[in-house]
Parts: sequence; structure tokens; C-alpha cells
Amino acid sequence: MNMNRKTDDSNLIRTETSAYSKKTNLVMSILFVILSIIVFLPILLVFIVSVSSEASLNELGYSFFPKELTLDGYRYLLRTGGYILRSFFNSVLITAAGTVTGLLLMCPLAYALSRKEFNLRKPILIFLMIPMLFSGGLVSSYMVNTQIFHLQNNYLALILPGLCSTWFIMILRNYFQTSVPDSLIEAAELDGCGHFRILMLIMVPVARPVIMTVAVFLMFSYWSSWYPSLLYLDSNHTELYPLQYVLVNMDRSIETMSHDAQYMSGMETYTPPAVMVRMVMVVIVILPVIILLPFFQKFLKNGLTVGAVKG
Amino acid sequence: MKKDHFRKKNRDLALMSLPALIWYVCFCYIPLFGIFFAFKHFTPVPGEGLIKNLFVNSPWAGLDNFSFLIRSSDMPGIIFNTLFYNSLSILLGIAVPVFIAVLLTEIHSESFKGAVQMVMVLPYFLSWVIVGYLVYAFLATDEGMANHILLFAGSSPIQWYQSPQYWRFILVITEVWKSTGYAMIIYLCSITSIDRSLYESAVLDGAGFWERVRYITLPMLQPTICTIFILRIGSILNSDFGLFYQVPMDSGSLQGVTQTLDVYVYKALMQQANFGFSGAASFLQSIVGFIMLVTANTIIRRIDKDSSLM
Repeated sequence: MNMNRKTDDSNLIRTETSAYSKKTNLVMSILFVILSIIVFLPILLVFIVSVSSEASLNELGYSFFPKELTLDGYRYLLRTGGYILRSFFNSVLITAAGTVTGLLLMCPLAYALSRKEFNLRKPILIFLMIPMLFSGGLVSSYMVNTQIFHLQNNYLALILPGLCSTWFIMILRNYFQTSVPDSLIEAAELDGCGHFRILMLIMVPVARPVIMTVAVFLMFSYWSSWYPSLLYLDSNHTELYPLQYVLVNMDRSIETMSHDAQYMSGMETYTPPAVMVRMVMVVIVILPVIILLPFFQKFLKNGLTVGAVKG
Repeated sequence: MKKDHFRKKNRDLALMSLPALIWYVCFCYIPLFGIFFAFKHFTPVPGEGLIKNLFVNSPWAGLDNFSFLIRSSDMPGIIFNTLFYNSLSILLGIAVPVFIAVLLTEIHSESFKGAVQMVMVLPYFLSWVIVGYLVYAFLATDEGMANHILLFAGSSPIQWYQSPQYWRFILVITEVWKSTGYAMIIYLCSITSIDRSLYESAVLDGAGFWERVRYITLPMLQPTICTIFILRIGSILNSDFGLFYQVPMDSGSLQGVTQTLDVYVYKALMQQANFGFSGAASFLQSIVGFIMLVTANTIIRRIDKDSSLM
């Protein structure tokens, strides 16, 4: 009820103050519809290509208006089953493990940094800022990760290096510090709650929006990650490839898949052209992002205050 | 008694920080010693540890790696590319999203605004691998849409992945397409936090749309813009590896216009196993970036204290 009043008010103010007439508002709306369509076109194209028939692809190439539609590409990927399912599983595993572990590391630290009585606050903040300015570079992190931590050709190599980010820690800390009332924490302390319990029972439920924000960013970044695979996986470990990296090696992957398909059905089966399989794979990778984004959109804004690092 | 209690609380907080701090030591601080790769001729003895190989088994190189690096014939082109794409990206990465965000705030319907934002931010969450294939759908030689349109129009098809002259433009457009939506939402958040009464009184004083943008919106956005500018300047020699490696599909003929310092660092390490050059190039990125960041920050702080980072 209260919410409604507020939007009504602000709309009122807007209509009063905006020098824009209804007509200009309409022109702007049309402009943005066109802009959105332009932005979306490339994505629409791969969706259409992924269901275009081979004959159509041969004649018209990648086109918005294919001659006939087919699900051959999808059927083929289902038939090759193992390989794609495996890499899909890898992507999901890496994404889930990375997101959960990342939050488990960053939330407690952010909580500690949000407590004014914490005597190590300043030194730890500086400790977190330094890596934003200096890094050892690719050679050094590659050599350290592979030779000292043995992060090569295993899942940990794809998960561990991306777990924490000073940026996310700052976003969490700022929210913990400014949007969660101190009185709530103090009351819990008076009741004899330790910091671990305060974090779990009070901070996490109250600060759910910002934790979701960081979770969403982590999730999308692990889902899109392919650079660690490029660095830490070699071609003898295709069973560890996430979807993104299968796409990087698409041409070789298509060979493996057609081999699998023949092996599974025991005979020469119809192999759709690589130009189609490629785009089917692209769609499989994009689809989860497109489906999840509308649900997560409301969380994005929490993280977008640039001031977070200034703290 | 009270002091004990206080100490225990601090111990708990320190304990909570510990796991993440260990992560920082492992993945940020231990690799810092790797700057020595830039000053060594790395000659590993198989079977010995990395530290011993780097510090004991490898002879000092002084500044050899740097002087070889700078004298290599590719280097001027690589540095030029990095600076060229970065300056354009900083310029367009601020101007375009600010412009679009300003226009978008003038639309009344909240749900329409939400829908536009969602579509525009979508590319930000796609990986460069995916974006590479989206570009490929347009530019592939045989099936690509661009060539089919050219054929349809009666001209001859173009071998896009062999024609460097188009790629500066293609890469810049691709980056704008991918990053604008996200940056726009950042500015949109700043704009919505501006006090509406400022606009009300401006309208009462007879200010038009552009005047309100010029005298209210832009000045209020200045701290946000400056912060982003300083951070971007701090990575002036860094570039988005995926954009320059994966989007051109690592095509050899395009290297002249697509190779940036990050691609060089990767290739020197993974393809040529040239630890010294790769390390030296990384070191340059870090040190130049740091100097630029501090300089930009100092200048901006002198002009307007609130807009600077530190």
C-alpha cells in the first residue's frame, strides 16, 4: 500500500517536471525498442540457425529466414549423449561449487570487516586492496598454480583461482555495515550470541539481497569461464571440459562427437554439418543465461554502486 | 573481564576472516614473487621445485628481457593496438552508456525501462567464446550472413577472417555491444539517486531537457564517471583477452590489428614457453598501470576532491 503511494507520487512529480510531452515519450520508447532489437538480433540469429535445416544452411547460409526448420542438430547432440552431457555436468558442477565456496569464503570476511570493533579492520582492508594494484602476472600465477598447487587437469584448477574478489567483498561489507541496523547486532550480542551465530542467524537472512547479488555475479562468471580451462586443461582430459571450452575446441569436439555417435549406434549415422552443430552448442550455453536473467535482474543493481571500493 | 571478552570477540572475527585471507595469500600474494620471472633467464632443472628453479638455477638477466621485448619487431604494433583499443573503449565505454542512460530516464513506464535494461545487459553475461560465435555467424566466409547479403546485393564475398582492414571497427563495435548495457545500469543507478527536487526547481526556472542534463545530471554523475575513468586508466596496458584472441578466432592474418599485450603475454607463455618475455610484458602492464592510476587520481583529486578514488 505504502509502496503504491510512493510510486504514484514520483510519477506525479515526473509528469510535472519532465518537459517531455507524451509524444516525445513515445518517440523515446520506439527508439529504445529499436535499440533493444538491434542488441538482441545476433542472439536471435543463432537461435534461428540452430533450427535451420542443412539444405537451408547450404543455400542461404546463416539467415534470419531459413527455408525449413529442423531439430536435427539437437537430436544429434542427444544421440552423442555422453560427451555433451558430461561437459554440461562439468559446467554445472564448477558453477555450483565455485558460487557456494566463494560465498562461504567472502561472507565471513565481509562480516568481520563490517564490525567497527574489529582491531584488524584497517590492515586487512589494505591487504585486500594491494592485489587490485599489483599482480605477479600470468606467468607467475600459471607457474605457481600448476607447480606448487598442482592445479592442472582437475576441477580444482577451474574453481579455486576465481573464488574471491576484493570488489565483491567490498559490496558485501558496505551492505552489512550500512543497511543492517547496528541495534540488531548489539541486541543479539547482549543475548549472548557469538559472531558466528550472528552471521548465520541475523546477518545472512537480513542481507539476503546483497548476498544474492554476489551469488548471481559469481554464478554467471563461473558459467562463462573458459580461460582457466584454456590454461589448465590439456587435450588428454576432454572429460573435464566445461561447455564453454568444448565450444573453444569446437572443431575437434565435433570429431569426437561423431565418433561417439557412430560408436553408440554401431553404424554410420546422419551427421549434421558442423556449421549447424556449432550453433546448437552456442544455444545450449546461452539458454540458461537467458532463462535465469529475468529472475536475477532485480539483484543486479545492488552491486552496481561504484563507490563500493572507496569505503 | 571486559578486556577478555573483547579479545575473544576479536579472535572470533579474525577466525572468520582467516579462510579468505589464506585464499588471498595463495592466489594473490605467493604469485607476486613471480615478478622475478621478468629479471631472470628462466632455466628450470626438471624435478626441482619452482622456487629453487627460479631463484637458484636461473641466472639473473638484468633488464635483458625488457630490452629484447622492446626491440622485438612486433612490439610497437602490439603497444599501439593496446593503447588504441583501450582509449576508444574508455571513451565509448563512458559516453555511450551515459547518453543512453540519460535518455532512458526520460521514459515514464518502469516496466518498459526494466525490459530494456534486461535486453541490453544480456550480452554482458555471455562469454567471449559465445560472442566470438555470434560474430562468426555474421562473418563466416561460406555461411556468414554478411557474405550472403553481399552476394544478394551482387558484390563479391569478403574473406572476413583474412581481411585485417575491417577488424578495428568490428572489435570496437563488438565491445560496445557487449559492455554498454552493464555500464548503462551503473549510471542509471547513479541518476535515480539524484534528488528529484533539483529537477523540479530547474523546470520551474524554465530549464529545458538538455539544460537539465548539462547542469544537473552530468555534474551529479561526475564522481561515478571519474571513478570508472581512474580504474580504467589503471589498466591502460591490459585488455580483454577473449575479445582479442577468441573473437578473431586466433586468425594469423589478423594478428597485426588484433594482437594486444594480453594476447602476447599468453602466447609468449603457452606457445613459445618464453617465460622472460611474458613476465617482462606482465610487469610492464602492472607498473605502467599503477603509475597511470596514481597520476590520474592525483590530477582529479586536485580538481575535485570528491571525485577521486583515494
